Amino acid sequence: MIDHAIFEDLQTKIDEEARVRDDLHDIVQTLARRGRSTQAILSRAHSTPTDQLKPVLDDATKEIIAQRDEVARLKTVADNHPFYKYNGLWTRELQNLVSSIELCAYLGGLEEYKTNSAALFLTIEEVGKFLGVPVNLKEQDAFHLTIEEYLLALISMVEELSRLAVNSVTLGDYNRPVQIGNFIKDLFAGFQLLNLKNDILRKRSDGIKYSVKKVEDVVYDLSLRNLIPKGSAAA
Amino acid sequence: MAGTKRSWDGQPLQDEPNPIATHTTQPPQQPPTMASAPPAAEEPPANPIITMFETFRDELDEHHDRRERLIKISRDITALSKKIIFSLQRIRTLPTPLPPSISKETTTRFAQINTLFQSALPEFQHPPNFWRYQRSLSPGIQEFIEAVSFHHYLTTQTLITKAEVAERLPAGILVTDEDYLMGLFDFTGEVMRFAVTGLSAGASPCGGQGGKQGVDGDGDGDETETGTEIAIGKKLPTEQAGIVVDLRGMRSAFEGLTVTRRHTNMFRDLGKKVDVMQNSVEKVERAAYGILVRGSERPKGWRPDLAVAAGGDDY
Repeated sequence: MIDHAIFEDLQTKIDEEARVRDDLHDIVQTLARRGRSTQAILSRAHSTPTDQLKPVLDDATKEIIAQRDEVARLKTVADNHPFYKYNGLWTRELQNLVSSIELCAYLGGLEEYKTNSAALFLTIEEVGKFLGVPVNLKEQDAFHLTIEEYLLALISMVEELSRLAVNSVTLGDYNRPVQIGNFIKDLFAGFQLLNLKNDILRKRSDGIKYSVKKVEDVVYDLSLRNLIPKGSAAA
Repeated sequence: MAGTKRSWDGQPLQDEPNPIATHTTQPPQQPPTMASAPPAAEEPPANPIITMFETFRDELDEHHDRRERLIKISRDITALSKKIIFSLQRIRTLPTPLPPSISKETTTRFAQINTLFQSALPEFQHPPNFWRYQRSLSPGIQEFIEAVSFHHYLTTQTLITKAEVAERLPAGILVTDEDYLMGLFDFTGEVMRFAVTGLSAGASPCGGQGGKQGVDGDGDGDETETGTEIAIGKKLPTEQAGIVVDLRGMRSAFEGLTVTRRHTNMFRDLGKKVDVMQNSVEKVERAAYGILVRGSERPKGWRPDLAVAAGGDDY
């Protein structure tokens, strides 16, 4: 005898979950749309000389802050549910946002959120503070930024920076590739400390070495032709 | 600056000592980035990036280790559940108390599974962990649900509810709707095997434990000219007719479920499971038909050909 109440009950549960997923999905969609416009603004950095970057960074900061509001909205809804049950819905967009934040910070924006104003990037705690979300929550089931998400965001930033190194040269800035090279080499060294398993983090971090090489090639070309300004970081 | 660089040059894991060091803006002293202190506290000031990554490494190691422990537990539970299912497949009658030998075996194995679940509990001590590692343990839980629902069906001829499954698990292990549903899908495959072996063993005098069943089956084998649905209900031994009805009931119930694309994981698994389940039901229907139509003609020890009956051996 098959008790049909079992299946009716299952269907109810499935429908409830679908509703939660729909709600979250709507917010994530908005976050994604804003994320694309942040990225569009930030990509103007590739064609803007360093001394004229300010307006680009201001625009980007404005969009990033708008995204922060979406994250707050997401947090209120997501906090009602087990974090890792639905985490997959927004992890991608959150990573993109963090990577935009990091890129903006590297270029000199978001200064007031850095503990050390000379820092080239925001630590996971600083990102969490900026977004108003906890980070790496291990004992409490609530919305937070995970270490994996932060690391994946750093990798995206590295990829973007390696592109920026090439474009800086086109803009006549021979100094920036050297700075970028040093910075991403430091990050690369950091990633090599991790014991990665066969997961997404492993796959993505394998790509860093190509970014490093790309920048090293640029620096090599420049130094070969004596184009690196004297007194710059690694002349 | 230069001082920062020198200090972490000496670190054993640093593959590429970078003599040209010094980019201008790296802060020489940044507070440790996470709550726990860096392991190498006795070393002179470390590069903040390296310190940060060392903390990450420890966190990720902890995560991977826990994940692997749970995957191992899940595999052990799967193996034990399969053994339970195999011994249950040796039964021929239902719904009855299990024969003592089989009952003893399954009880031991269920106890072993319970111990395994207990050993997983410490991993879920912190609230976020259950859902974080749910997918590592989920294959074991699904196989356990398959075994437990099959066991439940054989003893009561009813479908186990989610609450009943939860009762058989330690309180810290949640039964998700997804695992429950997927376990039930696999359960239909077991019922199919049980029904098909039962149908053939019923007619065979040397059909093992199916003594009582054997008498009924022989009686039915003579009625060869009927093959309609009503006839199945009337002429098959009632308990097997019951199985066919139950399987059909489950099939239509499963087919009635609506799972949207938004349930990423469930949606992906569902299509395949529905196919297999539909096949299982069809195999039993064909087998029942075969017994009725050709029952008296088949030789001793004949079994319905599963592969031909439903065009696949994918159970």
